Amino acid sequence: MKALCWQGKEDVRVETVDDPRILNPHDAIIKVTHTAICGSDLHLYDGYMPTMEPGDILGHEFMGEVVELGKAVDNLKVGDRVVVPFTIACGNCNFCKQELWSLCDNTNPNAWLAEKFFGYTPSGLYGYTHMMGGYAGGQAQYVRVPFANVGPLKIESDLNDEQVLFLSDIFPTGYMGAENCDIKPGDVIAIWGCGPVGQFAIRSAFMLGAAKVIAIDRFPERLNLARDANAEILNYDEVDYLVEELKWMTGGRGPDACIDAVGMEAHGHTLPAFYDRAKQSMRLSLDRPTVLREAIQACRKGGTVSIPGVYGGFIDKIPFGAFVNKALTFRTGQTHMMRYMKPLLTRIQNGEIDPSFLITHRLSLDEAPEAYKIFRDKQEQCIKVVMDPWAESKAA
Amino acid sequence: MTITTGMAENRREQSRLRSIPISSNVETLSCIAGGGALIALGLARRSWIGWVLAATGGGLVLNALINERRPYQGTVRVGVTIRRSPDDIYEFIRDPENQVKFLEGLELRANADQSMTLAFGRPAGFTLQSDAQITDERPGEYIAWSATPESVQEHSLDHRGVIHFRRAPGDRGTEVAVALDLKAPVGPIGRALASFVGWGPEQMVRESLRRLKQLMEAGEIPTTAGQPSGARGLKGSALRVLYRERNFEQPGESRLAGD
Repeated sequence: MKALCWQGKEDVRVETVDDPRILNPHDAIIKVTHTAICGSDLHLYDGYMPTMEPGDILGHEFMGEVVELGKAVDNLKVGDRVVVPFTIACGNCNFCKQELWSLCDNTNPNAWLAEKFFGYTPSGLYGYTHMMGGYAGGQAQYVRVPFANVGPLKIESDLNDEQVLFLSDIFPTGYMGAENCDIKPGDVIAIWGCGPVGQFAIRSAFMLGAAKVIAIDRFPERLNLARDANAEILNYDEVDYLVEELKWMTGGRGPDACIDAVGMEAHGHTLPAFYDRAKQSMRLSLDRPTVLREAIQACRKGGTVSIPGVYGGFIDKIPFGAFVNKALTFRTGQTHMMRYMKPLLTRIQNGEIDPSFLITHRLSLDEAPEAYKIFRDKQEQCIKVVMDPWAESKAA
Repeated sequence: MTITTGMAENRREQSRLRSIPISSNVETLSCIAGGGALIALGLARRSWIGWVLAATGGGLVLNALINERRPYQGTVRVGVTIRRSPDDIYEFIRDPENQVKFLEGLELRANADQSMTLAFGRPAGFTLQSDAQITDERPGEYIAWSATPESVQEHSLDHRGVIHFRRAPGDRGTEVAVALDLKAPVGPIGRALASFVGWGPEQMVRESLRRLKQLMEAGEIPTTAGQPSGARGLKGSALRVLYRERNFEQPGESRLAGD
């Protein structure tokens, strides 16, 4: 089959590889009908995440059709249409039972490696680093799905793929980012990053009762999409002091909660931002926490900083005194997918939201290497790339 | 949680495992040989670099004569919480069919005379073996074992340990705790190499307990061995070894429908 393989920094290639097969009783094999590129894939593309191996198959946002089942999977049949969550959970450990699905104890085959970095291991992920399990991902024609009795969501309505694909990662991620803000009536939420997760966070914040959402970015197409959702937009390239601007926009109080939907590759003009870039280029530091610093400074006293953005390692120069003395709360984590997929599918079926608004590029898997570049550099007003692994390349 | 193993009073007794004879230890021999070679090389050079080399060689020989003859002696303590009752876990562990599934790197065989034989290292080509017996046991509470004196004399491997089962707080299940006292004829270099490939005693106990938890909670052990990948190249293959991802590729045709 064809699959997109990581071969190094800024080097992803479509290669012909073996088809996946059932390895464990709870496995299923899915024929992938559509798959997307995630912002966190770009951290792999830019070579920032440790424990990658040349030859790894990428991709953790995918959906498709069940073609084979392991002996112990009894809730799915061959031919079922499913959306697969990007985290893998066993369903039976203490964390799964508490619905903390992304903290499952039992799905990381390289648990010892994650424990070296983190102390304890989170759940395994598709198409990511070997610290997170090294599972082959779904930017391919077929994919092996472990614990298929726990993860995959069956789609029985006639919604098309583009409408439900984002239940695999970004819609629940944006929603959990907003839910973690504990939104009360009258709350003002500030969201850094109007990429796909940010866009869903904006819409989710309104769903959860926010009175006002301030969306922060610098790319016009992303700000326009945010404005379409009734957010007040803030282009940080046009503003001298972001924190002061937010104070002005919130009656001098500051936003009640701040969402960091940007993560470790934040872009900034300030002196600390240059310092981050310098340290990162010398491999002295992994992450650039520009947004995290701003969110802590900007947040109102007693507020919440919700962090769906992905970070990998250690960060520098965080205003922790501000964090402590303003009594802030951090809420974060990889998305607890299985908690949100069914309720959000219901919202899509009710017509509350059509996630396909996000898609700007529809390509074949063969065009994936260019697609990564376009997505990362935000060329062609790219916001979200969806790929069909079975389509022939238009260039061919 | 405190674990009492009855080992404390044994520390005062004479070490049953004396120092390792030079001739039977690969590490010692290679240290002496390497050290001797460096000394000869260094003295032949007649320059200050030569003195440095000779001094290094001398250090290696001293290391061989002193450190390498002290057998490794250590204590391992690992705990894990499993969402099952203590009795369930006890029964699961005592079944030899299950032991094969979760013990990491260790083969266990029950003998007719109530003793057990443990073997370790066979896949790598060398075998450390030991005969042990269960010295004390209460079903659902603990199992204590110890190497037999004859086995210690014969195989130079001394170990004794206990595995405890205790109800975890709330409804978290059972805390399974292993405490192990170990003396093995392995010097510092061998220990470092073993740890590097994941065969240190603490690593093996930890991985065995992890597999036990995975089997009892999830019903299977998560794996990626046998999954597809692109071209690994030299770097990828080296990293697979570094990340301890054993590789088995089974020949066979694709079993997929609807291609």
